[in-house]
This record gives sequence, structure tokens and C-alpha cells, in this order.
Amino acid sequence: MSSELSILLIDENVDRAKEVIAALEESRYQVRHLASPSTALLKEVDAWQPDVIMIDTESPSRDMLESLHMISSYSPKPVVMFSEAEDEEMINLSVKSGVSAYVVGDPDSARIRPILDAAVARFNEYQRLKDELVQTKGELEARKLIDEAKRLLMDVKGISENDAFHSMRKTAMDSGQKMEDVARTVISMMKNMNF
Amino acid sequence: MGNLEKEQLTIGFVPLTDSAPLVIAKSQGFFAEQGLQVRLEKQNSWATLRDKLHEGILDAAQMLAPMPLASSMGLGCYPTPIITPFVLSLNGNAITLSDALYQELLQVNELDDAVLPLSAGLLRKVIEQRKAAGRARIRFANVFPYSCHHYQLLDWLESGGISSKEVDILTVPPVNMVGFLETGEIDAFCVGGPWNAKAVRSGIGLTALTSFDIWENMPEKVLGISKKFAEQNPETVKALCCAVERACHWLEATPNRFEAARFLSSSDYLDAPLDVIAPSLIGSCLTHRDTAPRQVEFYNQFYSRPGQHVNKPFVTSGEWLLEKMLMAGQIPESAKGSISVADVFREDLYENVSSSFVRAPF
Repeated sequence: MSSELSILLIDENVDRAKEVIAALEESRYQVRHLASPSTALLKEVDAWQPDVIMIDTESPSRDMLESLHMISSYSPKPVVMFSEAEDEEMINLSVKSGVSAYVVGDPDSARIRPILDAAVARFNEYQRLKDELVQTKGELEARKLIDEAKRLLMDVKGISENDAFHSMRKTAMDSGQKMEDVARTVISMMKNMNF
Repeated sequence: MGNLEKEQLTIGFVPLTDSAPLVIAKSQGFFAEQGLQVRLEKQNSWATLRDKLHEGILDAAQMLAPMPLASSMGLGCYPTPIITPFVLSLNGNAITLSDALYQELLQVNELDDAVLPLSAGLLRKVIEQRKAAGRARIRFANVFPYSCHHYQLLDWLESGGISSKEVDILTVPPVNMVGFLETGEIDAFCVGGPWNAKAVRSGIGLTALTSFDIWENMPEKVLGISKKFAEQNPETVKALCCAVERACHWLEATPNRFEAARFLSSSDYLDAPLDVIAPSLIGSCLTHRDTAPRQVEFYNQFYSRPGQHVNKPFVTSGEWLLEKMLMAGQIPESAKGSISVADVFREDLYENVSSSFVRAPF
């Protein structure tokens, strides 16, 4: 928990921003404040690559954050939101809608650090699970490809399942390719040659 | 009237010209007529409006037509069943180019002036010349990823043979559009009123065409309600639909349109001058500081005339929007099967209530 993290703080309320910056002095969080709504948020995010984004829920710029995930080069970041209102429902909602944490009321140092720590930790955990899911899906996909290639080889060449598998594995080892890449080549060749 | 499940409602809106049905229902007492006490709450962003509606902080909201679908599918949010029983408006958006981009376009195409609605094909040479010179790509802005604005922009570009991959598209809040165009952070935008007229009045842009020139009469804003709220408060939802329908009817008369512009101009609502709000409401599209306005009769349309059903949330419209999401690459083909559009665009609720619409002599 000691590595440095950069925060992009988007808040038109300069006084509150100062409080946040003061509250995070001598912590692992480095705050950069963006006060002007006319500054292109996406450009700033792209240039700075912050580890955490903090924004006021009532800020019009929130819609720009919503479009972040449509930019392919963008890697997801935890988002922490401010709210003036002591609204429990909003806190509830924030967790569900992918916002990583909520800061309600005045940001003071006793509260803000643990909230940020928890937001970052939860976000990392979420990302880990998501990556795992993507990987598992990828493995399943590879398995399907290999099975299809094997079946094609068996049909076309009239060889056993075992021989089909070994011939693909040999090609993979000889050419330094992954099994799924070999399978892909086999499938496309067989299909293009109309076997 | 005594059978309303809930009489006090909080309804969210975004300050735009086509929030008129809600503003008029309030200011003309049409909500009160139905026994509803409504507080209209101005929202600065679509994402926050959506989240508040999902969580029940807002009972209902003016929404971009694709939003109930996006909410239900969980695009950019936690999946939450949101429905619409009523279409609030058709058309109303426009694409405005910065004066700098307009002049560049005229120059590279060797034109003295341009014919409106502008052909997107004229951007081709600009794109190529910028690329050859190593300059930045044309940068457009929409108001939200899941908006008609975004799909209209893509369709317009495509009509000129331009792929979305050849330009940049950002999301910028409507209130900041004109400022971004002025500072050159964007070259063009697609937004609702009054922001196009504002750019023209400020002398910094050309309104190239309206959304009516791209898609004729498709739903733009809808009344969004959570499915749960609609199930628990059927009579209230009926009353709500009757009140906004009455407002839409009221908005049909041109003299009333000007009065609507006056209400909208107030700091409670749009907080913008009358001379930028009124034109689109009376069918005038301001074009450029040097050229005359264009007549676009249905620039803002709110009400069904005989034989037309502006306010009915047709399932076919919802399916059409879903198709646009697919073409924009926002959802995979498989997502189409995972949602029942008829559960979101609720023709049945509209049919239930349409017999109760109060007809005023007009």
C-alpha cells in the first residue's frame, strides 16, 4: 500500500479541491486538479494516465467519463465521486454502477484516505476477476478451435484423433506457434481448399 | 384522481429546448390538473440523471431515446429495467461546424458558399488534406455515447462515404459545446437546441443540417421510468402521461411555441436568451452569421396530428435504435437476442392511457 498513485481531481469548486489536496498531503496520492470545464477531460486523462479519477457527481463533465470506455487505448480506472447530499441511496448506487467509491459531505483527511484505499483495492480486485474471465473465455475458445481442426484433419486425411492431435502439436513445436494458431491455419486451409 | 399511488413526484430534465413538454406541463398547471405535485430537477449530466433514476432518487426523467435500452442492457451501468410509455419529442438536434472548419471546407473544395443541408462528402478533401499535412483529424463531439446524436452523426458521415474511423468523436456536455467549439478543442458537434443557435448567434459556427435532414421523425426524447415504479404506481404513470400529452398538444400552436420559449429561457430551466431558444421552436434553423435561416417545419416536434403518432413508443422505433447501436459497434450481434424491445418501448402502456387524454379545444 505504499506505491505512489496519481489522482485526477475534476471539481469546479476550488475550495473543496483545496481541502482534498490538503487532506491528501504526505500520502501516497499525488493530486492534479482540473478546475476548468473547458479543458478537454479526455485529453487530460490520456496525457496523464491517472491511477484514480475523482469527480463531483453534479459535474456536467461526468458524461465525458461515460465515453471513456469507448476509447480503445483507454485502460479502465477507478472513479471516486463527490456528493454534497448525505444520500445513502446514491452510495448504494455508486457501487453497483461501477463507480468505485463515494465521498459524501466534506472531504477530511481522516475519511478520505481509507475511502481511496478501499476504492483502489476493490477496483483492482474487480479488474483481476474480469481479466481472469477474459482469459478463461480465451482458453475455451482455443479449445474449440483445436477440436474443430482435429475433426477436419480426421475427416480429410482419414487419421485417428490421436494422430491428428500429434501432427498439429508437431507443427506447433517445429514452427514455434501456439496450438490455437496452428488450428486456425488448419481450419482456414481446409475450408479454402473446399475439402 | 383520488386513486393516485403517489402524488408528489421528482422528475429530472436536462436543460435543452426539447425539455419543453415537462416545463410546459409544470408552468401551465397540467400536472396539477392531474393531481400531481411535480418538482422538476435540473440535471447537468445524462449519466447522473440515469443513475438517479435507477436508484429511485428521481421518479421519472426526460431521457435520450436510446437510454432506456442502454439501461436495460447495462451498457455503461448496472443493468436496470427502465421503460418508456411516452415519446416526448421528435427531431431537435443539429450538426454545427466551427467557422474555421467551414472556411477550410469551402477552400479545399474551391467553393464560394455551401448548399444546405451540407453534404458530408465535402469533408473528404478536408480529411485527406489534413492527413497529407500531418495535421490532427477532424474532431466531432456528441452529448452521450448512447444518444441519437451519436448515431445521426455516424449516419451523416456515412452518407458522404466517411467512416467513423477517419475522424475523432468525443463526448462533451451540451452546456460546454459552444465553449469547446470557440476554443477549437472540437471542430464540430451534434447537439440539441438551443446550443446550435447559440453557436450561430455567437458568430462561431455554421449549422450544416438538422437531425430532421438525417432521420425524418424518429423519437428523440422519451419519458423514462423504472419498470418497478411503473408496476407499483400504474395510476400515477397514467396521470403523468396525460399531463405531458396535454403539454405536447399545447405546444402544437405556434403562438404557444413562443410563450414556451419565454418559460424555457428562465434561470430555472435553460437560463439562455430568448433569441437562441425561440427559432427552432418556430421551425427556423439559424445557419450562419452571413446567411439566412432555413425553414425546417418539424425542427422540434412534440405532438401527434391525426394519423400520426408522435408520442407512441413504437417497438419498431426501439428496434431501429438497437440496430443503430449494433452498427455503431456498441453492442455485439448476440445482444439483440438478449433484450425484448417490447418490454422497454411500452406501446401497451401508451394504448392504455391514450383513451384518457384530455382534448382541449384548439
